[in-house]
Amino acid sequence: MKLCAFRIRNFRSITDTGWQNLSADNITCLIGQNESGKTSILEGLRSFYTGSISEDVLRSDLSLPEISCRFNVNRGWLTEVTENPGAELKELLSELTTVELTRNWLPDFSSTIKVSGRISEYLNSLENAWGLYLDEVKSKFENEIEEINRYKQRIEEIKSLKAEIIRKADPSAGKGMVSRLFRRTQGGLIDRLSADQRHSLNELVREEESLNKTLTGKQVIAGAGIEYKSLLNKLEETERKLNELESILEEYHQKMTLLLMPIEKHEDPEWTKVLEDFRNSRIEKEKLKSTLESHIAFSGYLMEGRSAEEAQLLTLEAMRRYKSQYTSEILGRKYFEYCPDVVMFEDFGSLLPNRIDLEDIITGNEQVEGYKAARNFLTLAKLDYSFFQQPSSRILKQKIENLNNTLTVNFQDFWQQSIGRNNKIKIQFELDHYSLSFGDKAGKPYLEFWVKDSGERLYPKQRSRGVRWFLSFYMELKASAMRSTKPIVLLVDEPGISLHARAQEDVLKVFEDIKDRIQIIYTTHSPHLVDVNKMHRILAVQRDDLDNLKSTTRVLDPLELASASPDTLSPLQNIMGNPHFSEGFASNRLNLIVNDTGTFYLLSAIIHVTGFKGKISIIPSTDVSSIPLMCNILMGWGLKFAVLLFGNDKERKLAEYLKENLFKTEEKDSDYLIVTDPGFLNAEDLLSTLDFKNHVLKTREGITIPNSVYMEEKELPRSFLLSRLLSDVRQGKIGAGDFDEETNENFRYLIDLLIGLK
Amino acid sequence: MRGVSSYQQYMPEKAELQAFDEHLSSLRYAGMIQHALMPDEETLAGILRDYFILFLPRDIVSGDFYYAFSNRDYLCIAAGDCTGHGVPGALLSILGISFLNEILQAEKCMKANRVLNMMRERIMKALHQTGEKSGTKDSIDIALCIINQKTGEMQYAGANRPLVMIRNGELTEYKPDLMTIGLAPVEERAFKNNYLNTQKGDLFYLFSDGFPDQFGEKTNKKLKNKNFRKILENASSYTGMKDQKKYLENTFLEWRGNMPQVDDVLILGFKL
Repeated sequence: MKLCAFRIRNFRSITDTGWQNLSADNITCLIGQNESGKTSILEGLRSFYTGSISEDVLRSDLSLPEISCRFNVNRGWLTEVTENPGAELKELLSELTTVELTRNWLPDFSSTIKVSGRISEYLNSLENAWGLYLDEVKSKFENEIEEINRYKQRIEEIKSLKAEIIRKADPSAGKGMVSRLFRRTQGGLIDRLSADQRHSLNELVREEESLNKTLTGKQVIAGAGIEYKSLLNKLEETERKLNELESILEEYHQKMTLLLMPIEKHEDPEWTKVLEDFRNSRIEKEKLKSTLESHIAFSGYLMEGRSAEEAQLLTLEAMRRYKSQYTSEILGRKYFEYCPDVVMFEDFGSLLPNRIDLEDIITGNEQVEGYKAARNFLTLAKLDYSFFQQPSSRILKQKIENLNNTLTVNFQDFWQQSIGRNNKIKIQFELDHYSLSFGDKAGKPYLEFWVKDSGERLYPKQRSRGVRWFLSFYMELKASAMRSTKPIVLLVDEPGISLHARAQEDVLKVFEDIKDRIQIIYTTHSPHLVDVNKMHRILAVQRDDLDNLKSTTRVLDPLELASASPDTLSPLQNIMGNPHFSEGFASNRLNLIVNDTGTFYLLSAIIHVTGFKGKISIIPSTDVSSIPLMCNILMGWGLKFAVLLFGNDKERKLAEYLKENLFKTEEKDSDYLIVTDPGFLNAEDLLSTLDFKNHVLKTREGITIPNSVYMEEKELPRSFLLSRLLSDVRQGKIGAGDFDEETNENFRYLIDLLIGLK
Repeated sequence: MRGVSSYQQYMPEKAELQAFDEHLSSLRYAGMIQHALMPDEETLAGILRDYFILFLPRDIVSGDFYYAFSNRDYLCIAAGDCTGHGVPGALLSILGISFLNEILQAEKCMKANRVLNMMRERIMKALHQTGEKSGTKDSIDIALCIINQKTGEMQYAGANRPLVMIRNGELTEYKPDLMTIGLAPVEERAFKNNYLNTQKGDLFYLFSDGFPDQFGEKTNKKLKNKNFRKILENASSYTGMKDQKKYLENTFLEWRGNMPQVDDVLILGFKL
């Protein structure tokens, strides 16, 4: 799985970044002013991985964060890692080449990770179908219960009416008399009733018998109804309790935020109880919900006349049919296991010590100063404890010397800076033993580290901050790359902030070296940490309202840099200078990059002849291979641009490259990239052969190959000939009427493509 | 015997006779090859349900040719007239047929005018025609029809050859571009495309100029286009296309009488 895009919502200054694609070549650079939200993005990604957040990430409305990441996977991989997915889910998984995971936080700061995107849409559709089914059954069931209650009520009414009739016949008749009256063995009292009364009584008796009979038949359903009411009440009660607990949690968060106290450190038994109640109530609610749903389905089958046993089996079958064994949460947890490790580089947390006991390394004593850096060093040197068990100290010392040379050479591939005029720095280590003066440690082995130049040998702590940072960084990166079994996403906030410009460029080189194994996302202000030839790596981060630090963060991808503020773009403009706004590049028009000057002339002629009024400025590249550089330049200057490519092999390959690295999504492709029909190998193929001969070549010989192929085979001065055509058009020597129907049709085709650009 | 000896001096030598026979034999063979390149009865019957072809080469081989091609979507019919007749015309007709095959079977373009444009490029390239004085001036005149089999829409483009349509006895002539397929006296222009809406029962005729250019025995003058159109109108009154062919052939022979045939004669008629 490779991280390819992210979306962060409700995290610090970020309301919603929208989906942002990372650079396909594994290095993404976030630029922006201070307080723009760059670090928040890195922290958001780390939180996605670790699941932890603190109060200070909450926005003022206390809305809870939601962070989504999209990963590229090989087609078919999802079916391999998902056991028994079911036919429909299997079909869906087999065609997917990306998977989205979303982490949501709850008021207690616990979080859940779920699949989102197409998989969750499918699972939701199953849930919806189940929900619709249940709603239908529930509606019938409730009607049934209501009917039963009506019957029961009617029976009570009938009893009252009967009693009334008897009392009229014998005002002294007590309850017992009334009831005995209806036993046929009792005579006398009935005879005292009038004909009408007797008739009414009989009617009532008949009705009561009928209702009782009906109710007897509905006894099972009535029982189910009682159970249903009970479950419903319990669920409502649990939900009420959960809402109350949520409010309490919110108040606590607000209080902790004001007090600047992290919630984990807060030791309040009442708070602990609230948290525990909240978590238990959530679990309880889910259980009750599931039981209720199952009961409704069960009751539905009872209403059809099924026995309890049959209804139970049918309910299980229905749940299997409607509900997948997998929920968004189950799949989310499953796929999350395969996610790359996300590591935030801690600036000075792993400095190389001057000295470390070998015993501390062997026992993994992380509390010892410099342990992490020493461990990284040994990882790079591919050493473990057994290396130091060499009985011959001479051989051991030789091995150490050989190793020191190798390690230093690797490091110097990246560290180009010298100390002094011509010196280069070297890292060395030595194995030695404590002398008697060290008391308990006497005779015990330790490793000592040196940073040497040809002038002197100094302990790491005696070196400059910049050297120590770079050393630490280099070793952390390289060792992580060597150690990890899973891919790594490395987050680096302002790398090399204390490094000289050249050293910062060295940092970029390290990134290039490791990018095949480690995906890097870093923030920077420095122009030396931006590769001008690879503007597709840039994401610009700025506030929506540049004058208001409280406004939300906005992220702009490389194609939207035209909307970025000058301050945001300052690292780019420091290297690239300001754009030249003359006849060429334009800030208020779309700059259309074409393959060379010949095409520039012909397109200009077409625009003139057709009278096209679109706000387009044609920018000729020197050659097809220079087009990516042109794109970088225009992106760096924050200018709107698009690229027009023709059907020849070179340009078709370039189109694929641009789609993959620059434009990244299909929507962006159509907005920024035009690739003509493959029949037009180059611009001159837009002319019919006859018009090409008449207006460009001014010859009459027969031509049976494409115009562009003819130009190439005859090695004709293309730019000159097409510039002559432009000149003739501008002078009015050639007009729209001088081109034939085929040429005009091609011109219209091209203009339609230009109109299609945004 | 004076008569016999004077007669004998005009008799060709045996060797010359033999050479003449061999030459004739080659021409006949060439004629067979040329005929083989044109669509046969079976092919035409598969393409055009109701048609006739009146093909009267002046010599053994002909400068006129007819062509037919169809695919799932389109039906293409053409009648061509190459400069000259006899062997030179026949050789040019072979070029014409093969270029039409090349263009139409590539299926890149199914617009009649563009087919003629492309054919012209090929002819000019094959004959090295660049407009300079040393180049050849040979060319092909042709009428090409392309019918969309789904919609029934017909396209017509003509290089000096018209298309005649007769609908319910009424004749309409579609004029060609006055340009030939090959080097023209003036700079080449694109051929125009004509779109016709067809109806069932419409009659179409493509033809070379051999028939109208024929001198009649009785008048010693050319028939001319106007009279030819009247003959076509009369022919159209026959329901069967075979009968139309018979009528046209008889009319031609009757008109020609003992006069020598001046040019190849080709009339391709079909009914939708």
